[in-house]
Amino acid sequence: MKWISQDVETYLTAKEYVDTAVVPLYPVSLGEGMKQSAAAVEFITLLTAYLEKQFTGRILLFPPFTYLDSEQWDNILSDIHKWEDSIVASGFKHIFYVTSDLEWRSREDELNGTLIWLPSIPLEHMNDSQKLTMIDSQVKQIITIFTQKWHKND
Amino acid sequence: MSKDRVSRRQFLSYTLTGVGGFMAAGILMPMVRFAVDPVLKAEAAGEFVATKQKVADLTNEPVRVDFTYKQKDAWYESDVTESAWVYKDDAGKIIALSPVCKHLGCTVNWGSDKAHPDQFFCPCHYGRYTKDGTNVPGTPPLAPLDVYPFKEKDGYLYLGKAKPRKEA
Repeated sequence: MKWISQDVETYLTAKEYVDTAVVPLYPVSLGEGMKQSAAAVEFITLLTAYLEKQFTGRILLFPPFTYLDSEQWDNILSDIHKWEDSIVASGFKHIFYVTSDLEWRSREDELNGTLIWLPSIPLEHMNDSQKLTMIDSQVKQIITIFTQKWHKND
Repeated sequence: MSKDRVSRRQFLSYTLTGVGGFMAAGILMPMVRFAVDPVLKAEAAGEFVATKQKVADLTNEPVRVDFTYKQKDAWYESDVTESAWVYKDDAGKIIALSPVCKHLGCTVNWGSDKAHPDQFFCPCHYGRYTKDGTNVPGTPPLAPLDVYPFKEKDGYLYLGKAKPRKEA
């Protein structure tokens, strides 16, 4: 389910079925890294949207957690821990983070949820059907991470 | 010069009939269009979208067919890609099923559950459907998968808007 009023309404009536929160992590940088940051956001947006389509009934796609690249990591982590606490408190059993920011790889242990890190693929020169095939193949691999995680707990 | 000369009376009656006919047609045409408008509307709503799937290539094994159409969300127009599971049944009739689970809307896959290789399987809450799209009792879904109306044109498959089935 997406973070739109119609889907959230469905979520509220079917809360017991939707036990997984997906939070995209968007780094924002200005200046030199701007273009790269935009490409990463574009890629993760498309990918999470497709992921949501596959698992509509069990995941809630959160608005992205966005942070400045230049921000202190201690602050970023303390912010995300606040998100985590609220998400868990509202009844979600699983949290998945989707990002292409490499920095998270080394901080995976500090997260309570599962980190899915993917190298960002530039989409600017692709046509729609190429994008779809590419995202489809990426999501196919991620799907198993989800199903495995669910299987363990069901 | 022609031998049968047109008399003034004849000329006037011909022109009057002609002009009168045009006027009558001008008045009647919009009225007729209004009267049959619902028929024309229904055709526009049942728009069919072309897919890349050749009808001749279909077998009795369901395949995923993707197709794209334009969707408008407020001012934001975007291409939406949807899929269908298409196969031919034993009688050779084409069946096109919507992959959207009737439980909470996940995407179902064909044969992805190892215990039930000849069923549609929803990975979210383990819902299952038989090959004809009927929901398996005891699993979460409460209705059979929607069906796409289809058309064949130049050997390619065209799909319409998925419709829910009445029998449950």
